[in-house]
Amino acid sequence: MNCDRAKSQIFPYVDAELSREARHEMEEHLAGCVACRRLVEQELMFRDRYAGRLRPDPAPPHVRESVDRLLGGLVGTPERRRPRWPVWVGGAVAAVLLLGLGAAVGIGLQRMVYRSDMLAELTEASVEQHQKLASGQLPPDLTEGSPHSAEVWLRQRLDFNVTLPELKSANLTLLGARISHLGSVPAAALEYRLDHRNVSLFVIPDEAYKRLGLREKPKFKMLNHRGYDVIIWRQHGTGYALVSEIGTRSCLVCHSPDEKLDASFESVPHRRAAPPRRIDS
Amino acid sequence: MDKGVEFQAYVRGCLDSLHNYAVLLARPPEDAQDLLQDALIRAFRGFDSFDRTLSFKAWMFGIVRNTYIDRHRRRRARPAEAPLEEEQMAAALDSPLYAIPLAPEDILLRQETVEQVREAIRRLPTLMREVVELRDIEGLSYLEIAAVLNRPIGTVMSRLYRGRNLLRTYLVEPRRQDGEAGRVAHEL
Repeated sequence: MNCDRAKSQIFPYVDAELSREARHEMEEHLAGCVACRRLVEQELMFRDRYAGRLRPDPAPPHVRESVDRLLGGLVGTPERRRPRWPVWVGGAVAAVLLLGLGAAVGIGLQRMVYRSDMLAELTEASVEQHQKLASGQLPPDLTEGSPHSAEVWLRQRLDFNVTLPELKSANLTLLGARISHLGSVPAAALEYRLDHRNVSLFVIPDEAYKRLGLREKPKFKMLNHRGYDVIIWRQHGTGYALVSEIGTRSCLVCHSPDEKLDASFESVPHRRAAPPRRIDS
Repeated sequence: MDKGVEFQAYVRGCLDSLHNYAVLLARPPEDAQDLLQDALIRAFRGFDSFDRTLSFKAWMFGIVRNTYIDRHRRRRARPAEAPLEEEQMAAALDSPLYAIPLAPEDILLRQETVEQVREAIRRLPTLMREVVELRDIEGLSYLEIAAVLNRPIGTVMSRLYRGRNLLRTYLVEPRRQDGEAGRVAHEL
């Protein structure tokens, strides 16, 4: 590969869109070409500083309201009943309640916002880590061995319970493992290949999972962020986050294809974490 | 899970993205809300055919785009809305690549803010902006973008390549007038 060809491949390379062979060819060139390697490094830096932090603008409130009304109509949700009392009566009652419960509500809201931020932060961090793992920006510390040996290796380095699923599908491969961080949360990061797509599994401590404030049931919470599906759950005192672009099919990381999956999914809308934080490990 | 509840949850999970995309496509932009509503109605009708192993957002983007095309065809008689310039741009963009990427060194040195980069993306010609936003803001893969646009993956790569290069031109020379920037787009 010459430099012109390599330069034309820089975008697909950093986007992790090259085939295995093309990627290998590109990396061989980069290993021996300082100029092209510098271009790739700058591209990654540009992405890290700007492109990776771009987010869609929030939809304005009137659009949200109209979509809510539309969705309500589509699924036959009954319209909200009109209040039987004049509006001012409701307002007065609300004011009294607010006065009486002000402190408690304030604290409650603060906790809700905090938990919601924690969930958004974890979701954003896990998607970013997944992108970096898939693109090779975060190389695995451990690339060989079985899930059991990875589990042993991770337990020696993390002070919480790490339990990994066995590989139950023929088209599922464990690519590697590393110690990572999702925001401020220490995590075991595992990268899998399933149906030619990358899937990342993050294992987090139970106390970090509990801070998300998620309900016990349904067991699996599903969020969509930047086109990635994030499934979050807790099992045997450990929290898990699974990131992929293949929705519930990523469950094959833990379940065999013929296993009946627990259908108790809850879709949770993603709200942006504020303020944005760097989540590199 | 009930179909309606599932659909609602999916839509709420990516509403910002869907609205952004509708704003990008709609002419005039004030039509974005109508476009989004039409697309949601169409998507709900076809929700049974949505493959749950794929990205809902990418699937929805395709429906928003098809809805936009259908609406546009219905209004084609109105010359003010005919995107002739866009079509000419598309023909120019689909030619083979020959430029090399601009090194982002100068941009990195300028210490732009993320909002300045966002603003520069908004200035891109629509066809390039569409691909850059779908990739860099929405995180879609090249294949998913190709499916949304109903175009070959090579076209996606070409538009992305040129769009990112033009974006860098804007960032290096942010005071360049729109007209001049358009000329640069053709030169690329």
